Amino acid sequence: MADVHLNIAGRHYDVHCADGQEEQLHHLATLVDEKARGMTGSTEVRQLLFAALMLADEASEARGKVEKAEPESDSLRAAVALAESRAAAAQDEVKALQAREKKALQEAKSAAEREASALAELEKLRQGAPVAPPAPVGRHDRALLQIADRIEALAASVEQMA
Amino acid sequence: MELDLDESSLAIGRIERALSRIEKALAQRATRSTPASTGDATDSAALKAEVAAVIGELDRLIAEAKNG
Repeated sequence: MADVHLNIAGRHYDVHCADGQEEQLHHLATLVDEKARGMTGSTEVRQLLFAALMLADEASEARGKVEKAEPESDSLRAAVALAESRAAAAQDEVKALQAREKKALQEAKSAAEREASALAELEKLRQGAPVAPPAPVGRHDRALLQIADRIEALAASVEQMA
Repeated sequence: MELDLDESSLAIGRIERALSRIEKALAQRATRSTPASTGDATDSAALKAEVAAVIGELDRLIAEAKNG
């Protein structure tokens, strides 16, 4: 706590306030003192009474101005909210555009890789390199082996008959 | 894949050799020109049926290879 010495309407007052609020308290005391000194030719109590009434009047008037300004503040808040909403929508649109652009780039990259692979395969074919046979070849080979078995059996039968 | 190609070559080689054996046996049979018995006729029919079946199988295999 801080000790503050105030001088209002010619009288000294010792009061306490929270640390750091001394300057604000001096400022408020100055306002009260100015109002009280404006009420000359009266007792100290009446001076303070009129000072209090005048300050209350100013406070009331200020509150009225604030209340009058509130609708305008509401409009401003609504405008700010609308602007924020539009900004968010624009940001979403930018993100969507970026995502589409990224996807298109990936597709283009994939297509380029496929093209490069196809070109490499073509180059192999041109150079006469062995090309990987299609999958069914293994099955065909097994069928060929079975046919060979059957023809060999036929040959054995024909030889017996001969 | 190389194994598949080797198997294919092996199978074709075996088929060629078996066909040579059949040709040789048929040529010997024609040279002898012995009269056919009832048992021979039955065996020949079975052989023809097997030959037809093998040819059909080969046709099927060739068509499948052509069509991929």
